[in-house]
Amino acid sequence: MLIKVQIVVGLLSIFLLWTTFELIRKNRLREEYAILWLFSGIVVLALSVWPEFLLSQFFARITGIFYLSAVVVIAFFFLFLIVLHFSVVISKLTDQNKNLAQRHAILEMEFKEFKKRHLFT
Amino acid sequence: MSGGGRDRNPKTDQQILVIIPAYNEERSVGRVVEEVKKHLPRVDILVVNDGSSDLTSVKALASGAIVLDLPFNLGIGGAMQAGYKYAYEKGYEVAVQVDADGQHESKEIRKLLDGLDEGEVDMVIGSRFLGDSEFKSSLMRRVGISLFSTVISTIAKQKITDPTSGFRAADRKAIQLFALNYPQDYPEPEAVVLLHQCRLKMGEVSVGMNRRYSGESSITKVRSVYYMVKVLLAIIVDCFKKPPVLKEEEERC
Repeated sequence: MLIKVQIVVGLLSIFLLWTTFELIRKNRLREEYAILWLFSGIVVLALSVWPEFLLSQFFARITGIFYLSAVVVIAFFFLFLIVLHFSVVISKLTDQNKNLAQRHAILEMEFKEFKKRHLFT
Repeated sequence: MSGGGRDRNPKTDQQILVIIPAYNEERSVGRVVEEVKKHLPRVDILVVNDGSSDLTSVKALASGAIVLDLPFNLGIGGAMQAGYKYAYEKGYEVAVQVDADGQHESKEIRKLLDGLDEGEVDMVIGSRFLGDSEFKSSLMRRVGISLFSTVISTIAKQKITDPTSGFRAADRKAIQLFALNYPQDYPEPEAVVLLHQCRLKMGEVSVGMNRRYSGESSITKVRSVYYMVKVLLAIIVDCFKKPPVLKEEEERC
């Protein structure tokens, strides 16, 4: 039973790692975000190859969760962090975008005025 | 088009900038600019074209305003802030916000300016509900506005009868603050809270308002409850935000 779960989780994490790697290669993902995804993928992969940690008496005793639920909880936790991180990044980008648009508008207006005054008289 | 007042003499009309944010207001923006010019011939008028897809920019230029064209739509908060940034950089002493839909009467601008001089405040709000001015609006909106008024008056520890009014005049300090930090989605009530957090003073004067020349309120009936909840949440969150720090001009805020 455990071996099936290990294979499913292992394949999923390999797929995640491969997707991340491809996205980096095609320049569609910046490295700083890629690190998060790679790290999550590697952790999940490691847990599928060496399930001993999660199966150990120690882990089960302090957390009370078994292997599969543990993997799900950990994966969910990583996703939660990543999504939260994205919200922060998007907020920052939106703000920078707004400031750039305002700057752009003021500079464009000044440039038009400058052209009118100095180039066509 | 003068470059605005860079000297620090008592406020003259040349040091005043009227900011009119406009999004697809080609039918009314020209008329609003001309009205302002008629009543205050010596002020500079800035129309912030918030990425309109119609002829707003052309109409505003033709009527003799300075036009700031945003490259895409930022929403009312972003457009208004662009105006305040312009006012700050060009050294204007006073900025007046006027809506492009013709709702605000230009002849009332003088009242705002007088309020700013006499009251020794940093921002004056033109209120529809103060004193004898009468303004008819739907029950829903009156309930909403009185709710905001209660909440904001409590936070600001002073009576603000019309916190959603966008008809305002701001002095140099408030211009600096708004250039640095201006709320984005429903900026009018939040700006009052921001101003209070930065210990700037505000006051209200009674003004009359028109029916709009064109267009609908950005708040339709269906959305008004949603709007109220959102603004109240934003105001509550604002109370916990760290207020921005004003540079130079010796004011720690």
